[in-house]
Amino acid sequence: MTEPFRSILVYLDGSESSVTAAMAAIALAKRLSATLTAMYVINTQALNDLVKARIFVDVEEIEFRQDLEGDAERYLRHVRKLGQQKNIEVQTVKLEGSVHTLVRNYLRDNNIDLLVLGGISQIHSRRDELMSETDRMMRTAPCPVLIVRDDEKIWDMFEEMPDAVVGGIV
Amino acid sequence: MTLMDVLDKNLIQVPLKHSTKDEIIAELVDLLVAHRPALDRDGILKAVIDRERMGSTGLADGIAIPHAKTAAIDRVSVAIGISKVPVDFRAQDGKPSQFFFLVLAPEKESAAYIEILASIARATASPVFRRLLSSARSADEVVRLFLD
Repeated sequence: MTEPFRSILVYLDGSESSVTAAMAAIALAKRLSATLTAMYVINTQALNDLVKARIFVDVEEIEFRQDLEGDAERYLRHVRKLGQQKNIEVQTVKLEGSVHTLVRNYLRDNNIDLLVLGGISQIHSRRDELMSETDRMMRTAPCPVLIVRDDEKIWDMFEEMPDAVVGGIV
Repeated sequence: MTLMDVLDKNLIQVPLKHSTKDEIIAELVDLLVAHRPALDRDGILKAVIDRERMGSTGLADGIAIPHAKTAAIDRVSVAIGISKVPVDFRAQDGKPSQFFFLVLAPEKESAAYIEILASIARATASPVFRRLLSSARSADEVVRLFLD
């Protein structure tokens, strides 16, 4: 029987729940022998909006851009290491722009079967302006979406998975 | 993360008791510290005032978003105040301010901080929403407006 999901993408946003989602995605990729991509989008659209509205002054824009660049590198590196730990190769992608638009396009253009996301907002506003990027991704993704709750069970499951053996395959 | 994830009716003051820029910033910081006494009140206040020195966070249309990223806070937090009297916040359009959103974030939560600031800016861009906010008489009403 063909596995239902052969190509998985997990979105990282710098939150702990997105790292938990990455752990679940690694477990799933291993079980399904699927490819796994981790993506971080530097939200330059929001940053530009804040500069345009003059909420941020120039020095803040530079500082925050550097912060987000650093976050992207750090979280992608962390998830790559988590994958190595369980003998799963995690491809990493870093983009800049409008988060949900870039994620949607990437899912479509790369034939991704499943999008894995960390927690969505507990309280939902009917005001569109207050929808989070994760909520937007969930609603606009052209493929099935798995929402992973930030739960200790995921950490336990990840810990129980056999680690990769250095120099060999488990 | 958006404003909805951190919106707390205990951190909404309607109406504000003070009517000058410095007093309002202090009032919102005090509101936050009153509910989380372990926070470093002076550290937070200094961070917000230091940021204001770089340029006023009084925007157009009566909105002000004083903000700071600081080690004095443990998680992204927002305190909201609505004034019944016009306040000179040295806003960019030269007009008085009425709606104040104090946004604070720890050093390492830049992504969430940016998303919350952007969501406040988007939500308050609507003249209808601002009119509704100005007619709110309590913290509960403000929360309801954000939920509706």
